[in-house]
Amino acid sequence: MPRTGVFICHCGSNIAGTVDIDQALEASRNFPGVVHADEYRYLCSEVGQDIIKKAIEEYNLDRVVVGTCSPRMHENTFRKAAAEAGLNPYLLEVANIREHCSWVHKDMEVGTPKAIALLRAAAAKAALNDPLEAPELDVEKRALVIGGGIAGIQAALDIAEAGYIVDLVEKDPSIGGRMAQLEKTFPTLDCSACILTPKMVEAAQHPNINLMTYCEIDEVKGFVGQFDVTIKQKARYVDPVKCTGCGICWEKCPSKTPSEFEMGMTKRKSIYVPFPQAVPMIPVIDRERCLYFKKGRCQICEKECPPQAIDYEQQDEYIERRYGAIVVATGYDQLDPSVYGEYGYGQHPDILTGLEFERLFNASGPTGGKVVRLSDGKPPKKVVFIQCVGSRDKARGMNYCSKICCMFTAKQAILLKEKVPEAKSYVFYIDVRTAGKGYEEFQRRAAEEYDVAYMRGQVGKIFPEDDYLVVRGVDSLSGRNIEIKADMVVLAAASIARHDAPDLGRLIGINSDSYHFFNEAHPKLKPVETHTAGIFIAGACQAPKDIPDSVAQASAAAVKAVGLLSKEKLLGEACTAEVDHSQCSGCLNCEAICPYTAITPVELEERYKDGTLQRTVAEVNPALCQGCGSCTVTCRSGSINLKGFSNEQILAEVDAICLQR
Amino acid sequence: MSAALNDNTAGWEPLIVSFCCNWCSYAGGDLAGTSRMTYPANVKVIRVPCSGRINPMFVLRAFQRGADGVLVAGCHPGDCHYTSGNYQSRRRLSAFKRLVEFAGFEPERFEVRWISSSEGDKFAEEMTEMTEKIKALGPNGKMRDARWQSVI
Amino acid sequence: MAERNLDSVKKIREAVSQDLLGGRISQVLGWEKGHYWWQSRPLFARSEADLEKLTWDSFCVINLSRYLLEELKDHEKVGVLVKGCDARAFNRLLQDNMVKREQVILYGLPCPGMLDYNRLCEEAGAVPDGIVENNGTVVLKTDGGEKEVQREDIMLDKCRECVYPDPAAYDQMLLSPQGEREAAERFKPVEELEELPADERFAYWEKELSRCLRCYACRQACPFCSCRECFVEQENPRWQGRAYQPSENFMFHLVRAYHGTGRCIDCGECERSCPVDIPLQELNRKLIKDINELYGDYEAGLDAEAEPPLLTYRPDDPAAFSEK
Repeated sequence: MPRTGVFICHCGSNIAGTVDIDQALEASRNFPGVVHADEYRYLCSEVGQDIIKKAIEEYNLDRVVVGTCSPRMHENTFRKAAAEAGLNPYLLEVANIREHCSWVHKDMEVGTPKAIALLRAAAAKAALNDPLEAPELDVEKRALVIGGGIAGIQAALDIAEAGYIVDLVEKDPSIGGRMAQLEKTFPTLDCSACILTPKMVEAAQHPNINLMTYCEIDEVKGFVGQFDVTIKQKARYVDPVKCTGCGICWEKCPSKTPSEFEMGMTKRKSIYVPFPQAVPMIPVIDRERCLYFKKGRCQICEKECPPQAIDYEQQDEYIERRYGAIVVATGYDQLDPSVYGEYGYGQHPDILTGLEFERLFNASGPTGGKVVRLSDGKPPKKVVFIQCVGSRDKARGMNYCSKICCMFTAKQAILLKEKVPEAKSYVFYIDVRTAGKGYEEFQRRAAEEYDVAYMRGQVGKIFPEDDYLVVRGVDSLSGRNIEIKADMVVLAAASIARHDAPDLGRLIGINSDSYHFFNEAHPKLKPVETHTAGIFIAGACQAPKDIPDSVAQASAAAVKAVGLLSKEKLLGEACTAEVDHSQCSGCLNCEAICPYTAITPVELEERYKDGTLQRTVAEVNPALCQGCGSCTVTCRSGSINLKGFSNEQILAEVDAICLQR
Repeated sequence: MSAALNDNTAGWEPLIVSFCCNWCSYAGGDLAGTSRMTYPANVKVIRVPCSGRINPMFVLRAFQRGADGVLVAGCHPGDCHYTSGNYQSRRRLSAFKRLVEFAGFEPERFEVRWISSSEGDKFAEEMTEMTEKIKALGPNGKMRDARWQSVI
Repeated sequence: MAERNLDSVKKIREAVSQDLLGGRISQVLGWEKGHYWWQSRPLFARSEADLEKLTWDSFCVINLSRYLLEELKDHEKVGVLVKGCDARAFNRLLQDNMVKREQVILYGLPCPGMLDYNRLCEEAGAVPDGIVENNGTVVLKTDGGEKEVQREDIMLDKCRECVYPDPAAYDQMLLSPQGEREAAERFKPVEELEELPADERFAYWEKELSRCLRCYACRQACPFCSCRECFVEQENPRWQGRAYQPSENFMFHLVRAYHGTGRCIDCGECERSCPVDIPLQELNRKLIKDINELYGDYEAGLDAEAEPPLLTYRPDDPAAFSEK
């Protein structure tokens, strides 16, 4: 019989408000194997932990059950405490009587019996807990950063500065990301390129950073400390060693196609760099568009290239590398507002998204930096900005606030006034949100100094009339109908998860929220970790965010990655599968379904009659096993079991919970 | 079947055992708690690493011991922390669900749901819905073992 | 003994004696006549004298492949006579890594379907003294005279419903193939049960399973039950209660059937071995039917290379839950 101690936490009134602690204690004392039960206001505090430690010694406890918050919150805290008292940490079980009980029920009469049932199950399980040891794992001293926007660049630089090699993988031909598309940044109005380009160059030149542009992640296997990643280097058809970036090829290239970087508002060549400050300054050939690849004729770039860097025979390459840690910084997409038929996006050249409008300010943008209407090239006199296009819209868009729109709209209105002094801006908004250092002041300046008219309300219809756009809306403060004859309309389209985020999340094994933004491990306390150890997230792939937040998060992710890489050994998963060789019949169905190739056949020699017999059985490599336990269900005879979540333990929990009947 | 079991009026409350995967559904349950959502206390959760860990024998055992309904919850297909655990449980538990229905269990008695760690609301809704459905069905006597019929 | 089988028996003996007496194999698994004329039982032939007893008639129903589990421990290489179902069973064992292909020579015997003793007696109105088989008919000889009946009518149910009488795996095919049989309505009883309200279905199974003696003959006869220690015998955890309780009968039969998901070769040996006539095939076939419906057609044992459906998945697989 075990000697179990049960400790129940009040969590202030969080638990004690809905669970009668005395009653739960009394019931716990009657559970099989329980020799001691105690309670404390805050068990996770030092005093609380000491109570457990002392009781382990005093009552010679060999099992501990804590009735507290979720094991996902404090299991480690209490395991450590148990270990400090000399108990194997895996002999402790958590009964989640807060998140799964006191917080979801209102009455003591309901919460108390449920808490008792959960405590009884935990005690029944704990009685069958075995002491476990986590295996030690090697750490590959190399990091992978996925995404070459500002967050990815920052993370790569920080990890590189700490002395570790980083591969910075970017799917586009150049790093730079969304920030490279911006003209100015709020609230300081720094020129975006002026602060980004040096970072791009620094990343390219850093001895510890290996820039891998025009690359995609093909496969991720392994686990923390030892991720085995296959990276696809898409063929550039340009030899990066020979190419000098002189630009003759794209000057001479005769075929044009809409530029992705310019949001399709202007054209690029079939051999191209996405923008003039591209890093690396090495073009790629767009195979889908290139005349040579399409029709077998042209080859002008090959003929014109001084260092003869064009190589039509180049093939996609697959590079396999091992990494200790991965930072995911894949950024965001802008919602296509054409789902909002009333705004007429896509029907008229002067109805733009925020990002499209931004490009009009840029000297290398589609209008050469002149803010003019795309329809007739005239500078706009009246510009209407519409906020929350797809944000905060439960019915047709996203529930969340895209966070950056209020600020970039204020910025664009200011920039507009500077470029076109006679222009007047109108902003339709739901709320103006300006949380951030200097943000409120910046937005006030737009309203007060730059004559931007803010109108709380919604736009119901936009339609062209003569050579302007009629914007009809309602001012919800006054209840008046508003009609503005605008020259241009700018839609603050929601920031959304990248279209390929679900696939990428699956590929690398991290999960996402319902909007496909990658999930952090804890919304407050683990904002850059994911639930997959060794994989961190930074920037707008986690949720919409501005540049300072992205950069801060990137540095945080980098620190986490560096902390991991600096370890000599990591502790692996202790709750791994194990095979009872005497029972295993060697059918190896478990091998077939193991996602980690952790199960392999081994030959056993067994006594048989007068001699011996060779027999095949399954064997688990505990360093590879991640403890999912799927093998245990495939095993009909139960010969393979999962430590920490064994068949016996789960059945004991079922029995204990059902005992109330 | 004992009279007490059949008595739906005398304050009978169903027992629902829910197996939740650690990474998604159990975390979704945590979020339901953190967000102070409510759902019936009839549901008692057993934490497992993955829905792929759910052996159909656990489910049958719960019915033997007196559960009125069993709900397995795991990550949405494609989001499994272990890559393929829920793909595997989807096949296994689909076959198993049809088998227990074939044996005469009402379809509502055994269910599987995909609940992510960000779906605290869905967690609360599913637990509520399951409880309501089982309440409407009444106590489960099928496979209920006479040895564990006593009401404490 | 059936007249028409004499040629076949000679052929079979010739083929296997070459290998056995030539030393390629040290044992042949076949059939010999049992105590009664309507019984053919397993023969473990190791000598010329043993081979004299070898038979092939309409009562060689016992699936021989399962015996390999033990026999291969004592023999380097063994020959086995395989009907359609024995060969599928062999593939099943091969997929479960229970046998090594190179240790076995399979002699393929296309199967005309085995006869059902009970039906013979019913048709004859008494225990017949013997039978003579003609092409498609069987003459039943009794004291009272002779009666000719359609062979199909007195076959075992499992053979009447058999779709693949020809061995799917063999080294030598000894007789001429039967060809694929018309897919009998093997799922019909399952469909009829599916139509019933849940409570009636439960009552049906409660009644059927109440006869169970828990002798586990169904498991012993089954080619997918090859575990070293079955869950029913395990002490820790004790999945299967020993008590004689209806709930424990359900536990056993549901789990036994579930363990055959995508693995049951539909040979029907479980049901045939059952001393109390529990319709076990209905449980097995329910799973075969559902797996086929949900995850695509799969006939266990036909192709040892094909991936068993529970050992694989597709990301877009359907589910049988009320939420898809």
